[in-house]
Amino acid sequence: MRSTLDFRRPLLIGGACAVLAAGGCKNEEAKPAENPTGAVFADFAKRVDAYMKLRKTLVDSVGELDPTKSQAEITTRATKLASSIIAARAQAKPGDIFTPEFSALVATLIKQEYSRRPDSVQETREDQQDELPDFVPKVNTLYPTTYPLATFPATLLPLLPPLPEQLEYRVVQNYLVLRDIEANVILDVMPNAVPS
Amino acid sequence: MRSRFGAAIIAVALAAAPLGAQVYLPMKSGSVRFLVLGDAGTGGREQYEVANQMVRYGKTFPFTFAIMLGDNIYGSERPQDFDRKFTRPYKTLLDKGIEFDAALGNHDDPNQRFYKPFNLGGNRYRTFKKGNVRFFVIDSNYLDPEQLKWLDKELAASGSDWKIAYFHHPLYTTARRGPEVEVRAVLEPVFVKYGVDVVFSGHEHIYERYKPQKDIYYFTVGGAAKLRRGDTHPSPLLSARFDRDRSFLLAEIAGDSLYFQTVSRIGAVVDKGVLARRGVRP
Repeated sequence: MRSTLDFRRPLLIGGACAVLAAGGCKNEEAKPAENPTGAVFADFAKRVDAYMKLRKTLVDSVGELDPTKSQAEITTRATKLASSIIAARAQAKPGDIFTPEFSALVATLIKQEYSRRPDSVQETREDQQDELPDFVPKVNTLYPTTYPLATFPATLLPLLPPLPEQLEYRVVQNYLVLRDIEANVILDVMPNAVPS
Repeated sequence: MRSRFGAAIIAVALAAAPLGAQVYLPMKSGSVRFLVLGDAGTGGREQYEVANQMVRYGKTFPFTFAIMLGDNIYGSERPQDFDRKFTRPYKTLLDKGIEFDAALGNHDDPNQRFYKPFNLGGNRYRTFKKGNVRFFVIDSNYLDPEQLKWLDKELAASGSDWKIAYFHHPLYTTARRGPEVEVRAVLEPVFVKYGVDVVFSGHEHIYERYKPQKDIYYFTVGGAAKLRRGDTHPSPLLSARFDRDRSFLLAEIAGDSLYFQTVSRIGAVVDKGVLARRGVRP
């Protein structure tokens, strides 16, 4: 299972190079530190790490969850963790993790990936949105449990920076959402990330 | 080869057959016997009626475990929902010790992986073995690179066992929303590479059985509670389809053969047959 962030993934760097094809990243062997894309993703990793450190202290207080026959135990623990996270991040706002630089880069990657897909795939995506929530995701709130979770486009995931196993990306309408899975808390949102 | 409409006609005819737990499975000694159900967790009357048929058929065909194809719990997931949408409808089966091995659907909170009766062991994906059959439980909602790496590794290590993959989204279907071509683009090459024999999916609230696609049999069994009546469509790729009522599937694997029959909410057999595993097919 995932535990660490790895920014050496060739696909990711390849995708990022494609984004910057007009400008930087001409030399595939360029060191990440000299690569503006690498710097943006490294900054994202730092922000995710900072959240994970905060999260660990909160998890320590509510306890780890092991498989249990009691759904009540799962619900109680998730609720406690969510409350702790929301309280600890009371000042959180859009862009804290998805910075403007990161958002611009990722939106371009997503747009490029979408434009490469045939119509049939696009139609499937639209059909998936059918089942989807008609809500505007907000930072530091719960993902509404009355809605299904949007299935994440399978070919898009390899283009995005990997996340610790406790976190995930989701697409809600045209937002990219960063979500804490166990707590069901929306950590950040990126509007206009996905082409309409 | 059956005509385009042959399977549907047979399915309709079988659905209208007299009631009775007619088991067409050979029940061979030492065989692997299981139940397949998808999109079950509504808590509605139809789920309970289908569950009653599972119990009824289980008396004649004693299966030992059930694979759940996702959407195990629709809507809210409070403790009382797990009771109404899972433990109560399947109480008789649970009391008998039937093991439920769930995959996650798009309506499922990923925290279901911590719910012990679903046997995910805290993971979104897993593999387990029964007799000479290796099952791969995949989370098709979120096919991240880590999961794909895991799948590749586990399939490579699975040797000569039967390989059955199951997950929520169908790679092939004639239903209105269409196949999950994006998921297919990611999973199918891996299945082909490692010789997966059979794939079970849900998501579409119908029953469909495809002719082998790239040597893999595909079933959609997504009607254990919900139904999209009239949502399967004739296709030369289909061997059978059923969309007039809810359904589930019984399966038995003995040696190189997989026997199956699909049963409707009223207990009629709407499809049945036997499949050979890769390498021994005519």
